[in-house]
Amino acid sequence: MAEAIQKKLNAELEKYTQMQKDVRKSMSARQKLETQLTENNIVKEEMDLLDSTNTVYKLIGPVLVKQDLDEAKATVTKRLEYINGEIQRYETLLKDMEKKSEQHREVLSSLQQEFQRAQGLAVGKV
Amino acid sequence: MAEKGQVNIDHLDGVVRLREEHEKVVKDCESRVLHWKKVSGDYEALNERLQTLPDQLTYDIMVPFGPLAFMPGKLVHTNEITALLGDNWFAKCSAKQAQKIVNHRMKYVKSELEDLTKTMKNFEARVGFAKNLETMTANKSDYVDIREEAGNNDTAVSKGKQRIAHKPNSKPKLDAVLDLREDEENEGEGRDEESRKGILTEEELWARLDELEKLEELQDEQDRLSDNADMNGEDTSSLSSEEEKDGDAATPVNGLSLKPSWTSVPHSKASTSIDRKEEEDDEEEEGSSLPTIFFSHTVEPKKVRINTGKNTTLKFSERKEQKEHSKRKKKNGHNNGHSHHELHKITTPADIYRLFVDVKNGELIPRKSILKSRSRENSVCSDTSESSAADFEERRMIGRSFSHDEATHSDTSDGITEEDSPTAIPLHPANRFEAFSGTVVEKDPMPSAVPHLTIVPPALPTILERKQEEVAPDAPPPEQAPKRVSKFKAARLQQK
Repeated sequence: MAEAIQKKLNAELEKYTQMQKDVRKSMSARQKLETQLTENNIVKEEMDLLDSTNTVYKLIGPVLVKQDLDEAKATVTKRLEYINGEIQRYETLLKDMEKKSEQHREVLSSLQQEFQRAQGLAVGKV
Repeated sequence: MAEKGQVNIDHLDGVVRLREEHEKVVKDCESRVLHWKKVSGDYEALNERLQTLPDQLTYDIMVPFGPLAFMPGKLVHTNEITALLGDNWFAKCSAKQAQKIVNHRMKYVKSELEDLTKTMKNFEARVGFAKNLETMTANKSDYVDIREEAGNNDTAVSKGKQRIAHKPNSKPKLDAVLDLREDEENEGEGRDEESRKGILTEEELWARLDELEKLEELQDEQDRLSDNADMNGEDTSSLSSEEEKDGDAATPVNGLSLKPSWTSVPHSKASTSIDRKEEEDDEEEEGSSLPTIFFSHTVEPKKVRINTGKNTTLKFSERKEQKEHSKRKKKNGHNNGHSHHELHKITTPADIYRLFVDVKNGELIPRKSILKSRSRENSVCSDTSESSAADFEERRMIGRSFSHDEATHSDTSDGITEEDSPTAIPLHPANRFEAFSGTVVEKDPMPSAVPHLTIVPPALPTILERKQEEVAPDAPPPEQAPKRVSKFKAARLQQK
């Protein structure tokens, strides 16, 4: 009896750790997106400081490719929107993961209690 | 107690951990601040370089070749700068334009730095608090937990709105009520030590009393539009009386316990009451790890202000009296007995006279006139002369020995009303004395009344006792120095 519970407990624990990992991954991805967001904001603002006399280049691999200032601005704006959308997505994902991990935690704790009880009984019996 | 000790230890661990976490955050903030400062320095250097770069057409420099070698070379096109804007975007611009970009970035860095310093300060403060909490949980000294039950906001709000600080004094209420209560308590439970115990057990009563007071106060406020000034005056007076009491070091818990009932009265009193409560709780706190003050705003009792004598007014809280009365009955059922209550119950003007009894030399001698302020000896309604001010402390002292009410008395019929006394304030006295015209109740020699009350069963707290020595023999004319009562209120009360 106690062994069965123990097995269950271990299984649940694994699932829970897995969930935690996923959560952490999503968290870090979101943080990266955050930094990109701020960076693109700065780029946008600095482009506003420039005028059309300056040439704008984009680094694609080892190549600096000439770009039009307006095009560049549009591109950056689009990128900003994309990043915002991604962040939202990750937010919802993170929430769901949190809820799931909570459930797992509860299951885990209840299993632990059972296990302890079973252990106690076993000890008593012995 | 062991449990509580255990709890304390747990709290301590938690608090220690909290502090450590806060400290971690602070360290993190510090490192980030360093980083940003470095960045800021770099940009400053860059700015300077950009400033000087276009000065010459070309520069002779040593060009780095790989990680280890340098080659002599020339720096050309000194005004053409290719700036990285971020996210793999580059822009060719002149030195001045580059400077603009750099300035823009500096702004960003500065804002980040500010945020970080703010956060750091915040967390440093939190660390301090956590440390305090730590010592607190460890030592359980010098700190008191103050808890207040939420609620009664309406009363507070309405009170705030309606009140206008016309009068400086609202002590009388407090004192009167306290005296009354004290008397009852004392009578029921004996003096001195008993009174102390009584106080301890009174905590709930006080809480209840506070609530009732608040309710009554609310009603009172509504009733008395013209009394706003009075209320304010009373409040301030009660506040001052409280302060006086505060000064009294000897005040036992008794005095303190009375204070809570006044929490509702003026918000200004709150702080003092809190202090009082603290002390109370300290004394009363038994098992908890921390002395806890259960603070509750209470509704001022409905009070009738009766002008008696020169400057005294009684504030009588009918409802509270009744409730307190019933409470006391329950509590001190065996002690007080019914006679007590009967005597205290005022349903007709005659009852007032019954209460205003002179000091008996063994007997209660009813007074002929309860309006007149007596000579120092046996005046029940003392006026607010300097002597009473001086006597106040005395009385308090003496009163203390008997009951815990002393502290709170000031003119306060209010205090009296709250305490025990007769349920109904006779309107007659009010009418007789004066329609309240805004006189300030200055002093309340209630303390002296208290002892009287204890001695004389049917005592309503005497309004103002001149002398505390008189205490014992004096019959307590319970009518507290009637607080000023507005005409309307007086009329209303009369009609009741």
